[in-house]
Amino acid sequence: MRATLTRWWPRRLSSRIVALFLGLLLLVQLAGFAVVHASIDANARALLAQDLAVGERIWARLLAQRAGRLTLGASVLAADYGFRDAAASGDLDTLRSALDNHGARIGATVTAMLAGDLSLRAVGEGTDPGAVDALRPLAAKLAEQGSALALVDGQPFQVVMVPMKAPVLVGYVVMGFPLDAALVDDMHAVSGLQVAVLVEGAEGAADGARLVLSTLPAALGSELRAARAAADQLQLAGQTHLLRQIDQAGSPSGMHLRTVLLRSLADAVAPYRELQATLGVLTIAGLLMASAASIVTARRITTPLRSLVRASERLSRGQYDQPLLHTGRGNDDEIGELARSFDHMRLSIAKQQDEIRQLAYWDPLTGLPNRAQFGDAVREALELAADTGRPVSVVMLDLDRFKHVNDVLGYAFGDRLLQGVARRLATQDLQPNEMVARLSGDEFALLLPGRDATAALRLAECLADAFLLPLTLDDHTVDVTAAFGVACWPHHAGDAETLISRAEVAMYSAKRKTAAALVYDASLDAGSALTLSLLSELRRALEHDELRLFLQPKIALVGPQAGRMVGAEALVRWMHPVRGMVPPMHFIPFAEQTGFVRQLTMWMLEATAKQWPELEALGLQRVSVNLSTRDLMDAELPLKLQRLLQRYPMPPKALCLEITESAIMDEPQRAEATLTQLSAAGFKLSIDDFGTGYSSLAYLKRLPVDELKIDRSFVMAMEKDEDDAKIVRSTIDLAHNLGLSVVAEGVESAAAMARLAGLNCDEAQGYHMSRPIPAAEMVSFALSWAARQQPDDDAPQENAAIAFSA
Amino acid sequence: MTTTRILAFLLFALPAWAAHAASVEIKAQGSDGKPLAHTVVFLESRDAKAAAKPLSDVEIAQAERRFVQRVTVVTVGSELRFPNRDKVRHHVYSFSPAKTFELKLYAGTPANPVLFDKPGIAVLGCNIHDSMVAWVVVVETPYFGQADAQGALRLDNVPPGAYRLRSWHAGLPPGAAALDEALVVAADGASAVVKLPLAGSAL
Repeated sequence: MRATLTRWWPRRLSSRIVALFLGLLLLVQLAGFAVVHASIDANARALLAQDLAVGERIWARLLAQRAGRLTLGASVLAADYGFRDAAASGDLDTLRSALDNHGARIGATVTAMLAGDLSLRAVGEGTDPGAVDALRPLAAKLAEQGSALALVDGQPFQVVMVPMKAPVLVGYVVMGFPLDAALVDDMHAVSGLQVAVLVEGAEGAADGARLVLSTLPAALGSELRAARAAADQLQLAGQTHLLRQIDQAGSPSGMHLRTVLLRSLADAVAPYRELQATLGVLTIAGLLMASAASIVTARRITTPLRSLVRASERLSRGQYDQPLLHTGRGNDDEIGELARSFDHMRLSIAKQQDEIRQLAYWDPLTGLPNRAQFGDAVREALELAADTGRPVSVVMLDLDRFKHVNDVLGYAFGDRLLQGVARRLATQDLQPNEMVARLSGDEFALLLPGRDATAALRLAECLADAFLLPLTLDDHTVDVTAAFGVACWPHHAGDAETLISRAEVAMYSAKRKTAAALVYDASLDAGSALTLSLLSELRRALEHDELRLFLQPKIALVGPQAGRMVGAEALVRWMHPVRGMVPPMHFIPFAEQTGFVRQLTMWMLEATAKQWPELEALGLQRVSVNLSTRDLMDAELPLKLQRLLQRYPMPPKALCLEITESAIMDEPQRAEATLTQLSAAGFKLSIDDFGTGYSSLAYLKRLPVDELKIDRSFVMAMEKDEDDAKIVRSTIDLAHNLGLSVVAEGVESAAAMARLAGLNCDEAQGYHMSRPIPAAEMVSFALSWAARQQPDDDAPQENAAIAFSA
Repeated sequence: MTTTRILAFLLFALPAWAAHAASVEIKAQGSDGKPLAHTVVFLESRDAKAAAKPLSDVEIAQAERRFVQRVTVVTVGSELRFPNRDKVRHHVYSFSPAKTFELKLYAGTPANPVLFDKPGIAVLGCNIHDSMVAWVVVVETPYFGQADAQGALRLDNVPPGAYRLRSWHAGLPPGAAALDEALVVAADGASAVVKLPLAGSAL
């Protein structure tokens, strides 16, 4: 049932509205039609019944009138002197012939004369005496009423009887007139009813009925004859007729005269039917008009709905530019309201979309495109370039020491500094298709379509020159320098991501090499084929035991141990089977970049721990091992170290871990956490290259370090530059004040060593004492150093230093 | 025996008494006992028939479209005149078997009187004026008369004897014959009450 309903119920709203309208209208019209139909039928029947009742009275009146007329005629006849004369003549033949003759004058076919006592005196000449016998019983009634209907020989007659006076009553003249077609035609004309006169057989049975007179077509006679006497309704020629049957007269033979008045219901209904047809036409017109109106109404609703649907489809496709229809002033209805709120939604979504896009593609701080947009722009530029074949260059730059600006001057200042840099970059003379973007933090990039590597490098150098001008912000004048890396399509990379990352590689190389700008080269890149092969070689080096532990002795300058070797810095050397000794510069930065440095560190630590008993025997108190940034970021490091030392007879305090200032400053908090754990585990900690970084003393104070290592640059310059000497001295004082011991590295002369000793520096390390030597050579060094301490001679160490630096 | 003798005596002695006249008093009543005016009464007998003589100068005039007298009693052989005293003409007729005649449209008195030569009752009408009706009662006896308003009638000079007492009234049904009953008129006369089969009050 429901499925059926659903199937028939239209899906579209407009169709539903139209269907509902029309359905209701049709229902009302049908109901009206049914009511009218029923009432027409009932009315027609009632009217017809009334017509028939009136018809019966008309029929009676017609008969009475006819009787009156006939009576009058008969009276006139009866008064005719000649007729009276003949009647009085006493001659029966004369009388009969007079009756016949005078009856014929007024159309009577049955004539007779009765005596005053109603006895038959004479029968008209042409009249069947038997017929008159049939009238005998009527005589009394006729004397009273003057006329009657009677059956004579089975034929209906209207019989009148008038007295004959001469001048007193001498008898009665009886005249019978057959009912004729003129009468029923007259009746039909007057009443509009069909009239039929039937004579029934002796039994009164319908099948015996005989149609005597009728206004009906002859063909209908037999059907009418079949009608029962009591029937008031009859099907004639397929049409319903209402009947009214009047019993008129009987005869002694049992025959019966019956007049039937009838009329077709269809005739009576015909005018109503016409009215109904008009009503039907009106209904159809109404339906058409209503359907037109409902279609228009439905359209008024559904057209805006459809346009809203299309609009929402456009919105879902992300097209927000096309305003909605039906929002105008003419649409004050709910649809208009909906359309307006929809349009409002469109605008606000578009706005939000813009904001999102802005956030997604623009850097809110500097107003420059962000990394995402830059990436897209590079991809587009490459697609374009793929057609034109012109090169595309990407320049990437990263501010130096920006982190420290943030730390020292605050993030707000750092932000303004970035904005200043952005302005400076944006004001460069760039082509319209060139782009400056801020990729992250202090990292910016330029997209230079159409410039090859050389041109891009030139631009980068120009920019670097521009950076030489200090930026002035809030009374602070800040020297901002940056490292630039250049990569060029198609020479350096085939796709946008690679191009950007290669520019980045070049930039980091520039930063490491403290060059202003560098063009990408595969050798710079840890991800390049060259470095990949280097990495696998390095792995092989570990597996095939190609690495060698070298140690550089540390000499105590003050205290009871002064002049004696108290420690050493462990260094790694690579004994390549083909290339020979590979200098650390060739693989350490690479190892740091790739993360392989951690394996190297672990190797170093293990090698050192393995060596420790021999070193301890030489009087060494501890051995220093360098930790890289990556080591420091390894949360597992303290645990790994402890496990290592459990396997070897080396106490934690014998192991001094050297960390560069910059390694700590990369992520100060994690570094601090790791260092605290290491310190707690008993390891000694040392800050390497102190003075080159930007760490604050306040920060250093919090670190659980035991030792500072003054960078070689200060130590080496100390002898020529008094400022550097001051730095060294004050650093030593400072470290001591903080409870740290101080190690000076890069001690290349006896004078420097003497001076450091004078400055109360705790230990020294450098070519003056010894270059890094294989662990195995430590014994011989210890012996020779002890020997050197006796005669004070340091010339051979200087030579060695020169030899090594090559 | 005695009675028979008396009767026989009476039968044979009567003619001897005929030389003597007697009066007969008749009272006419309707069936309701009320007096019936204008009742025609006559006594018939063989002697009376012989004694009857035609009347002369009897006329039934037509005045104001009525017959004057409505009922006229004449003896057989009397000739009646029908003088027309109206300005309109009349057509007096009778289809009665007692006398059938016709006086076609005339004014004044027709030249020939109408002879009523048969006993009976003739109904006269006017063919022009249907409402005009008159009766002529033709009798074969000299002893006849019409009752007065009280229905009383006295016939004088009636010889004693046996008579048929006949009575008739215009209100009787058309064609009805006069009532017939026996009446013996004694020397000192006789009296009788005749009852006619019609309601006196109906007239």
